This record gives sequence, C-alpha cells and structure tokens, in this order.
Amino acid sequence: MSAKTILVADDETHILHVVSMKLKNAGFNVLTASDGQEALEIALAELPDLLITDYHMPNLSGLELCQRLRQEPSTSNLPAIMLTARGYNLQPEDTQNSGILRMLSKPFSPRQLLTTVNEVLEKLAA
Amino acid sequence: MSVGPIIQANEAAAGKQTRAPAAISASVLETVAARFRITGLAIAVIDRQGGLAYHDATTSQFFNRYAYGLLRSPGAAVGEISKAIAAATPTSNSSEWSFVPGLVISAVPLVDKRQLTGMMLLIGKRDGFTLDEDVLREANRLGLDATWLQSQADELPGWKADALLAQSKLLISTMRDQTRLNASEQEIDSLSTQLSNSYEELSLIYHISGGMKVNRSASDFFRQACLDVREVMSVSAMGAVLCGVGSCRQDPVLYSRSEEPLLSQDDVTRLANELMVQLRDRKDPMLINDVDRNPQFRWLSGKVRQIIAVPLQRKEQVLGCIFGLDKIEGEFDSVDSKLLNSIANESAIYLENAMLFEDVHALMMGVLHSLTSAVDAKDTYTCGHSERVAILSKRLAQQLNLPEAQVERIYMAGILHDVGKIGVPEAVLHKAGKLTTEEFDQMKKHPQIGARILADIKQLEDIIPGVMYHHERFDGKGYPHGLSGLAIPLMGRIICIADCFDAMTSNRTYRRALPLEVALIEVRRCAGTQFDPTLAETFLQVPTEEFRKLLSEYQSRAAQLVAAPANGTSCP
Repeated sequence: MSAKTILVADDETHILHVVSMKLKNAGFNVLTASDGQEALEIALAELPDLLITDYHMPNLSGLELCQRLRQEPSTSNLPAIMLTARGYNLQPEDTQNSGILRMLSKPFSPRQLLTTVNEVLEKLAA
Repeated sequence: MSVGPIIQANEAAAGKQTRAPAAISASVLETVAARFRITGLAIAVIDRQGGLAYHDATTSQFFNRYAYGLLRSPGAAVGEISKAIAAATPTSNSSEWSFVPGLVISAVPLVDKRQLTGMMLLIGKRDGFTLDEDVLREANRLGLDATWLQSQADELPGWKADALLAQSKLLISTMRDQTRLNASEQEIDSLSTQLSNSYEELSLIYHISGGMKVNRSASDFFRQACLDVREVMSVSAMGAVLCGVGSCRQDPVLYSRSEEPLLSQDDVTRLANELMVQLRDRKDPMLINDVDRNPQFRWLSGKVRQIIAVPLQRKEQVLGCIFGLDKIEGEFDSVDSKLLNSIANESAIYLENAMLFEDVHALMMGVLHSLTSAVDAKDTYTCGHSERVAILSKRLAQQLNLPEAQVERIYMAGILHDVGKIGVPEAVLHKAGKLTTEEFDQMKKHPQIGARILADIKQLEDIIPGVMYHHERFDGKGYPHGLSGLAIPLMGRIICIADCFDAMTSNRTYRRALPLEVALIEVRRCAGTQFDPTLAETFLQVPTEEFRKLLSEYQSRAAQLVAAPANGTSCP
C-alpha cells in the first residue's frame, strides 16, 4: 500500500512543523498550507487522503474550508480532523456534513494526534 | 577569495547541533552540483591525499569518464596535484589548476575546525579544447575513444580561467548559503522535535490538572497520572506511593505497560520503601540508569534496568513519590526528570487541595451534625431521624440517576431538614397526644425557621428549598406555602417521601413502628396526593432488602444507645 497523503492546514507555523514532522516520521506524505484558502487550492489540486485543519485561520476558517471541500465532487468525501482552541466547542450541527470526523483541542498531544489519524484512516479503510 | 565563510557557517551549525555534520553534507554538494551542471561545470571534492571524495555521478559523460577519471588516476598530474594540496592552507584563496590537460579547474580549500580537510574543485572544459597530444595521451591511458571524447566535449561550453574564477566565487557563496539553509532546516527539525515533546508535556499537564478534582480519591488521581506519564515518558511502568492518611494515602502501586506486571507486589512495596528512604534525605529527583551497578537497588537486577523517582512534597516534607521504571528506548535524562518534577508539583497541589478540602468538609459536616444533634436532643423521639432521612433521600436521588454533586446536596438537605425545630417550643415537640390547632400552627413553622437559620450560610443556599418545602404536598394541601405538583422544588418532594417513610418505620411515643411492607404500601397509596407519583414509584423501585438493612442498622444502634444511655442522647 502506498503512503497516504495528509494535508495539514494551520496559520501557526510551529504547529505545521510539529504535526508534519510527527506524520512524516510515521511514514505519511505531508502537504502543508498556512491558511484556509491555500488549503482549499492544495486539496483540490492534490486530492489528499486526509485533512487536518485548524479552526481559526485567516481567509477561510477550518469549518468553511471543510464545507467548501464537501461541495466539490473531487473532495466531497475527504475526511477531516479539526484542531480547536481548548474550551472552544463546535456544535454538532456545525460539523454535520462537513466531513469532520474527530476534533482535538490545543494544546494537543502529537502522539494523540497520530493515534487519531491512524484510527480515522483504519476506520475508513474498513 | 577565502572560503572562511563556508567554514564559519559549518562551525555555527556544528555548535548548535549535537551530532557533528560532515564538513559539507552530501545533500548540499548535490544541490550545488545540480546548479553548476546547467552552466556546463562539474564539481568534485578531493581529500588531503588527493583521493576523489565526491563526484557528481549524473553529470555529462565528458566529466564523468574523462575529468573524474583523471582525478581518480591523475597520471602525470599527480605531482602537481599533491603540490597544490600541500600549498593550500586553511586560509588560502582558491587556486587555478591549469596543469590538467583539456580542463580548467578552480580549487577551493575545504576547512573543518581550522584544519584543511581537502579541496573542492570546480571543473570546466578548457576553452579551445582540442584532442592535442596531452589530451590523447590521457584518453588512451583511461581507455577512452578519442572520437567519442571529442563528440562529448563538443556538447559542453569551453571555459577561460578568469571566467571560471568568477564562477568559483559564486560556488563559494552558493555553498555557504546552501550549508546555512541545510543547518537551518536541521535546526527547525530539532526545534520541532523539542516542541513536539513540549506539546506532549503540556497536554499531559493539562490532562492531569483537569483530573485534580478534590473529591477524587488519591488512588484515582495517581492511577490516571501514572498511566499518562507512562505513555508520554515511554517507560515500561510507572508507580506511586503516598505515606499519609485519608486523601494522602496511596499504598505502593505499579502500573506496568505489559499485561504481566514488571514487579511483584512485594517487590513494588520494597522498592517504594527504599525510594522513600533515599528521597526523604535528598528531596531531589533521582535517576539510576544502571541498576546492576547501584548497591542500593542491585537486588532488582534482572528485573529492572533503570529507575527514575521524584519526591511528592508538602511544606518541605516528603509525603511520597512517583517513580518510573525502564525507559523503552535510551536512558533517563534531565528532560525526564524535569517532566516528572512538574508532575510531582502538580500532584502536590492536588494533595494540598485535597487535604484542605477534607479539613473544611469535615469541619462543615461536624457543624451540621451538631446542629442536628441539637434538634435530636430537643426532640428525643426523632433520634437519628435526620440522618436516616438524609440517607433515604440520597438513595432516592441515586435511584433517579441525579448527578453525584446534586445527590450530595440532597443528602445535606436531608440532614438539615428539621433544623427549624430548634425554634419550636419543647412542650409542642414533646406533646404525646394530638396537637391543638394553635400548637400545630407552631409546629408548622419549623420549615420556615429552618430556612431562616440557613439563609445566612451562603454555601448552603441551594439546600434551603429542601428544608423549606419538605412538608408541601403534591395535591397542594401541605405547608408552609401550599404549593402543588411540580411547583414544589424537587428537593422538597424527595425529602417529603423520605421523611414520611422514616416516620412510619420508627417507633414514636404514641405508636409502634409500622412494618416495612405496610409503610411501602402507604407510600404507594399516597402517591399523587401527598407524594409526587413519579418519585414515589422510583422510591418503590429501590430493593426492599436495602430498606430492611437500613432499618435493622438503625434498630441495633438504638439498642446500643439504650444500653449505654450515658453516651449522650438516649433514644426511645
């Protein structure tokens, strides 16, 4: 099986570095985007297997990004993991039909993130 | 032109990285070689003995077979090359080698830690290249066909010495930039690793702080902390011990990663005791990376390789410790002890809070119980009544699946529900016969008196409804306000059932206790009139055995009190 490609979108560079390093070390191909708009363009061009996105981002929020991707035929099934600020809870109705399967609040444990990624991908493969 | 700057960049990188980078890494050389390939130049590195240390395998065949061939086997040029290397110093400028037939070469000294390590060569086809006598001789020696060599050479631009010198300056600055870039990338990787570890720590501390609810038991708290730390620190087992009382007591415990425990309970206890002996004196984290060679812990040899332990302190006093055994990879280091120390500090805050909470809670419960004892002393026939109503109310609240915090408040309201009887004349409370209307009016004031007594205690505000409304009836015929149905606060409706049930099942001066079964039938009968029917139904769902047990406990306690009346309040 070829390595899965994961797109990571966050406007905080250090998060991008930490997450992509953790994922690369685990054998994933990693693409990064530093805002929602860039993430949208990359996702449509590269069709990754999974999206990890921050909620608060300039230009296009993580939620808007997921909703836009949902409307595009080529990415309508792209699963997403959302990172949010601690204590910030998205309502279930917000995440409905957005492809967001899991949410992690910052500061998250990179190990936990990796576990979540593997769980989500395994579940989708099953 | 000096190559100093390249070297400085390297040394700067070396200073920040723990592993020493090669003087110039292969990836830098490849990036640079690819850039110069476009201009028809090739790159090579030779070591101090003149051996070819790097060549660009993807360059054109002319360089690959002829130029690199010559460097591998210099033939007549070997003396000149040795001389050039010998003449180079760490600070010398790049030099031009015109002694290699058909080629122009600019040689830059390579320096690592102020030592000359070799030379970097920028190689071009000499301007006006022809198959002259010297070139043919070398081609023959290398086994290259002359026509083929000419055709390969025709595809490359020719270079003059001065133009090559300019390129070699460019090479040096490109090398310098590329080296710096690589170092920065490595630095970012290393910082990201550190950051990732910090995230891990931070999220662990968040998690542990989140679990620091004071009403949580110490064993729950330490279990969670041990499991979390075990994962983050990647150890085979984490354990804890706490030599206090109450919430400050934790018997030696070890949580192993594998299903098979790393140590037997006896070993865990012995280890915990010995760690405590050591930590009581030193009060600092303890790292043992080789148990076999540690006289104190050699007895663990073969079972455990490494130990890390930090004390749990409160007011300079070592109360306990948390310890980790066997790192899965590598040894325990200062990062681990720092992490474990912050966990210990967090735990100490938990302990401090738990102890304060216990103190305050015990004080408050003591005060509440003495309040009810005062009532019970005055109204002797209700001896233990408040406590039983509290227990019954709590049981009903649990049966209703109310949140634990609310269940506790209902218990407290049960304890205090009759506190207002302090304000009712003893003559009325003690009267054996039927009360007159006037006396009954006085009796009916006790819920409001109780509410007033508690009104000044801010922390008990939320239980006042239980005290105020426990004599309201579902059909609206109760007192003091004649509320009906769900307008009566839940606490009042719950205590009402518990209160009546206990009254029925207790002996009174004017009648014997009703049998349990009869009391239960009575509860059902009064559902919808006196009691909230839903609550009454839920109350009846509690297994009868539980009620029986409660009653027999009460009766045996009453018997004890009767046998030893000197103990305090006597009960009928």
